[in-house]
Amino acid sequence: MRDPLSRRSFLASLALAASALAASARAASASSLFGGPDDEPGEDVKKVLRAKFGDRPIRSGHLSLDVPDVAPDSREVPLLIESDLPMTADDYVKGIHIVVDHNPDIYLAGFDFTPAIGAATLDTRIKMRRSSPIRIIAETSKGALWTTSHFVYTTLNGCV
Amino acid sequence: MRDDTGEGKILLPAAIKRNAVINVRALLSHPMLTGLSRDQAGIPIPAYFVNDVMVTYGGEQVAHFEWTSGISRDPFVGFSLLASKEAPLTVTWKDNKGGIYTQSADVKFSAA
Repeated sequence: MRDPLSRRSFLASLALAASALAASARAASASSLFGGPDDEPGEDVKKVLRAKFGDRPIRSGHLSLDVPDVAPDSREVPLLIESDLPMTADDYVKGIHIVVDHNPDIYLAGFDFTPAIGAATLDTRIKMRRSSPIRIIAETSKGALWTTSHFVYTTLNGCV
Repeated sequence: MRDDTGEGKILLPAAIKRNAVINVRALLSHPMLTGLSRDQAGIPIPAYFVNDVMVTYGGEQVAHFEWTSGISRDPFVGFSLLASKEAPLTVTWKDNKGGIYTQSADVKFSAA
């Protein structure tokens, strides 16, 4: 016959191990959701950025990207991009670029603006092949580059 | 295959004040095929997508978009416009097979 005490202590240690595991899993998923190691662009993405923007520094700021953390349908991932950058005749956002690291076309789209549009906002829907960071890069008429990114989880390949 | 490809729609706010920044929404019916998928017989479906969008306001180009097939089917785009004058806003979509689709809407100021 089993010793009830040792069984109880075994169960207790099991529960402790399970909760420790859950905590570490939570920490791992949180870090990949909000930047972390996944946020660093890979060599292929860096190549695309260099081809488009040269060696100019790309700083983060002045942009907001509203996108779901988990895309219910990877064929239609809604993006809402807003910026607090000026939109005057001598200082304006001349382009907003969408880069998706793990898509067949890494450089997904570019939107060129003139001061006549009054504000650098953008609302569209994109396809995603798999879970990936989405990067938004804004280029001003003075040549400054601003970026923001968000990691989006997907379930199916939406690149049809 | 749907046969409404190329039907465009432009949505402007119901009331527009002079010199207000308004939201413009443009929608086009288009399959936006990447060329990466196959049909049920296993034959690759060729790429067919809008790659160039031009926005003019009173005949003057105010925005220009360069797209790949990564934009979703029936491409939608919303952007801002400084309503500085009463003039037509025209969106012209071009696809990689030479299709050109145009849609216009008139920016008119509501009585203040």
